[in-house]
Amino acid sequence: MLLSLTACAEKSASTNLFAMDTYMSLTAYGSNAQTALTDASRRINELERMLSRTVAQSDVSKLNESRRAAVSDETATLLGDALQYAAKTDGAFDVTIAPIVNAWGITSDTPRVPDSDEIAALLTHVGSSHVHLDGNAVTLDEGCAIDLGGIAKGYASDCVASIFADYGITSGCVSLGGNVYVCGNKPDGDKWLVAIQDPQGDDYAAMVALSDAFAVTSGGYQRYFTAEDGTVYQHIIDPKTGYPVQSDLLSVTVIADNGTMADAYSTALYVMGERGAIDFWRANADRFDVVMITTDGRLLYTPNLQDQITEPEGTTYDFQVIDR
Amino acid sequence: MKSSTKKLALCAVLTALALGLSTVENLFPITLLIPLPGVKLGLANIVTVFALYELGALPALAILVARCLLGSLFAGNASALIFSMLGGLAAMQVMIGLKQLRGLSVFGVSIGGAAAHNIGQIVAAMFTLGNTMVLGYLPFLLAVSLLTGTLTGFVAALLFRSMKHIKLSH
Amino acid sequence: MTSRSSTVKLKPTVWDGVIAAAVIAIAVIVAVVFYGNKTYSGELRVVVSVGNRVVDTLPLSDEEATHTYCHNGYTLLVSMDGSGVRVEQSDCPSQDCVHTGTITRAGQSIVCLPAQIVVHLEGASEDAPDVIVG
Repeated sequence: MLLSLTACAEKSASTNLFAMDTYMSLTAYGSNAQTALTDASRRINELERMLSRTVAQSDVSKLNESRRAAVSDETATLLGDALQYAAKTDGAFDVTIAPIVNAWGITSDTPRVPDSDEIAALLTHVGSSHVHLDGNAVTLDEGCAIDLGGIAKGYASDCVASIFADYGITSGCVSLGGNVYVCGNKPDGDKWLVAIQDPQGDDYAAMVALSDAFAVTSGGYQRYFTAEDGTVYQHIIDPKTGYPVQSDLLSVTVIADNGTMADAYSTALYVMGERGAIDFWRANADRFDVVMITTDGRLLYTPNLQDQITEPEGTTYDFQVIDR
Repeated sequence: MKSSTKKLALCAVLTALALGLSTVENLFPITLLIPLPGVKLGLANIVTVFALYELGALPALAILVARCLLGSLFAGNASALIFSMLGGLAAMQVMIGLKQLRGLSVFGVSIGGAAAHNIGQIVAAMFTLGNTMVLGYLPFLLAVSLLTGTLTGFVAALLFRSMKHIKLSH
Repeated sequence: MTSRSSTVKLKPTVWDGVIAAAVIAIAVIVAVVFYGNKTYSGELRVVVSVGNRVVDTLPLSDEEATHTYCHNGYTLLVSMDGSGVRVEQSDCPSQDCVHTGTITRAGQSIVCLPAQIVVHLEGASEDAPDVIVG
């Protein structure tokens, strides 16, 4: 009784904004909540101006245009991280996939299916070896282009987390177009309940109780187009083949204490498919947790999540723990 | 010919009266008590009840439709039209039915009409808003309709009593 | 028409009472169905629908919070605290939503017809998610 009375004072604030091609919603609790959110929104817009491929004067645009540019410290660091994740995932996550994404027009209004010669030619420009990073000076090989879209939102969530920390926010919930960051616990002390979208329906497939964590989902269901012959192509391209991933997974959700990594790994694991993803997790089990939904109706999750994951009533998925 | 002209004039007068009553009740919006947009006390139902008994179902219906159309025109509010129309038609339907029952007085008929009026309005609200949350207002509205229905019945009874020897039609 | 008074009953009858009772019965049934299973003593949740679509589901907790919703050219300022939720400001013509005042119990709602915005309170079931990833 007394406890509930003393817990009454906290204020909350929330902000919704459109940035980085997506809808973002941020909520924070505490006396600094409003200023923290104002700062966080400003930071997100700043990141977009710096990292977006569609903003003409961004570091990434300048680099792709002239193949040689002096970029900001932050862009350089993020690009360095991206190259590391590419190395760790053996190229399953790759920011140099941009020319092929362009050829498919996946993010444009006019997607198309390039012919195999075109893809083969473009594939020769894909790979971390074409990016030369020396301090703030970046050079790209002929024909190479980068797209940090695969980690920009994850990185933005890391930035929001550090702003929250600066302002002493101990409770908050942030969704940057599906890149989720939960700060501390809910004001009532419970963990945040993060629902994983059901790739095959409007409801959610599972719920995970989290605190101080980042969660990012990748899946072909999020964005796709139908070609003239009726084939459905989803938006995640396999850097090895240059074609949209034909995955045995519907979605991969990576849960970690680093948003950039979670963003990169969720894409990489989706590209790897069930087998590869499980092997990769086993090799890096201390770094992150994962929830995977397979095309044959299984929902696989890592042992750490055992006490945190709940099945929705009447679920059609077969919940299974992944062995270490 | 002569009687139908008279009837037409009477309908027009009653429509004007109903519009007047609608306007009057707009000055005392029930929405202050029950904040559901479009909900009315239904004073104009007095006219409907009277017309139903005095002139019959069809003229009463014509007066009702004219009142709803003109009323929403005056109020300049198209969304109010669906509310008053659905409410009014529901009330009319129920009152025509209840009037057939020998045991009922004008009180019972108008209470039934008032209740139907409010149910119709809630249905209109559910259509307009696309969800059923407004159903929560119905119990309160029905309680109010009991009062307004009784009031309407009382006024109508007074009217009939004082007009006992006056013949309006035929 | 012969004599009006012979066809119109002007005094209330027992059967009128039956009609009144029926109206009360309907009211009670709707009330029970609508509110009966929703008397949560626990946490409440604010559900905001804009133009037939649920746009926000927010826990009603002890913290004060304000949210702005725009639709059909009208803007509503919704504010909530531990006790309930209300529309603080609206530029809609009828102001019914503002007049509704604060709603505090599961099942209650505030309706702004001109803006087609509904603010509804429902009991927060134990397993309602706070955020969706995917």
